[in-house]
Amino acid sequence: MIPALALAAGVALGLLVEPTVPLWLQPYLPIAVVAALDAVFGGIRARLDGIFDPKVFVVSFVSNVLVAALIVFLGDKLGVGGQLSTGVVVVLGIRIFGNAAAIRRHLFRA
Amino acid sequence: MKGEHAGRRERAESPLVQRALDLTRGERTRHRPRLGAMSTSLLNELMTDHLDAGYAVAAQRRAEAGADTEVAAGAGRRRARAILAVGLLLVGFLLAVAFRGTLRQAPESERARQALVRDVETGSASGDALQARAEALAGQLVRERDAALSASETGDRVTGDLRRLEAAAAQRPMRGPGIQVIVGDATPRDELDASTGERVTVPADDNGRLRDRDLQSLVNALWAAGAEAVAVNGERLAPTTTIRAAGEAILVDLRPVQSPYTLDALGDPDRLLPRFAGSDAAGRYQSYTGLYGITFQARKAAELTLRAATGPELRYAQPSGPGGSAGPVPSRPSGSAGGSSPSAGGSPTAAGSPSAGGSRSPTATSPGAAP
Repeated sequence: MIPALALAAGVALGLLVEPTVPLWLQPYLPIAVVAALDAVFGGIRARLDGIFDPKVFVVSFVSNVLVAALIVFLGDKLGVGGQLSTGVVVVLGIRIFGNAAAIRRHLFRA
Repeated sequence: MKGEHAGRRERAESPLVQRALDLTRGERTRHRPRLGAMSTSLLNELMTDHLDAGYAVAAQRRAEAGADTEVAAGAGRRRARAILAVGLLLVGFLLAVAFRGTLRQAPESERARQALVRDVETGSASGDALQARAEALAGQLVRERDAALSASETGDRVTGDLRRLEAAAAQRPMRGPGIQVIVGDATPRDELDASTGERVTVPADDNGRLRDRDLQSLVNALWAAGAEAVAVNGERLAPTTTIRAAGEAILVDLRPVQSPYTLDALGDPDRLLPRFAGSDAAGRYQSYTGLYGITFQARKAAELTLRAATGPELRYAQPSGPGGSAGPVPSRPSGSAGGSSPSAGGSPTAAGSPSAGGSRSPTATSPGAAP
């Protein structure tokens, strides 16, 4: 209940406050979202596995977002930003799919 | 000495070997390597290890410290809930911000595009309206001028000169018999594939694309054959008109024209057509129809109507004598070739384009129109 409320509050806050994302931050936003999705799916799976831990979830979320953005930032500085973004998205995408499959097995036993 | 070396190496290796054996055994049994254990295969881990190892470690730690007191567990649960709430708040915030950002970005580019399209449309519409108004006013000007000049004998002579000069400068619409030459780029054609028997579209040969110099040589051949007035796709050619290329496009009088190109030439069809057909250029393009697949044909036309060309824009030249007044009677008729009212600011269509089909339009046989 409380997690759902917190999530809804976060969405509402983002929609209402309408923060202007600085231009230099904008290329990292999609990567950050993918990283956040990875953390969320990991959290849901851990919950279904019965080993969920809020601290691990929050730390993994924050660090995922920061590391993904940092990798892309470094790539930009080195001139391989596009390739590194692709790499990050591929790795996180595989993880998301794997976790989603585990969640599916838990929920539908299939 | 040798044995000592060997013994030292044995001692140094054995823990490593032991560790490697531990690792492989651990992987075989637990499927997931312990935290801190380096994975033997990065790809294997990527494909099989989706869950953050931290969850397992935390669960293990919780299980080990399972003998906690009830109070501490309650406080821990409250704190965990707060942490989770904050984390999910962050997640929601991030998702919403990203959503907003994408939403705002997409319509912005779309809006800019729409605005540009609208600008182009209004610009070309107002250009068309101004063009139509300029032509109407120019027709009125010519009518008024002819009426004013017909009052006297010198005026009649000046009117004749003016008509001749305007015809030569392509400043008047012209109609009369002539010939029509139609050339077009090679088009893609269907062919039966020899191996599969399927119908495939063969893209046109790039050599089958007409360039500006092709149109130039055809127009020159028309002039040489005795054409008195020429238009390409309706764009009348004045003495200063250019046919040139801008990238892939061909511009006639700075307006783009598209294939197929229709070249209208006024003149005696019975004389013009044989002379044009006998020219080098016509023979060359006739052979290109077989070589590159371009289309090329010339035929007589009983009645062609060519509109006036846009006049040259006069920025500095002024008619000598009492020019600029409302009475358009310049001292020398040549001064009026580009515009009989210099006070109009050198409007390109100031002179001699009465409304199409006006009874005043000289026929193509007016004297002096030949190049």
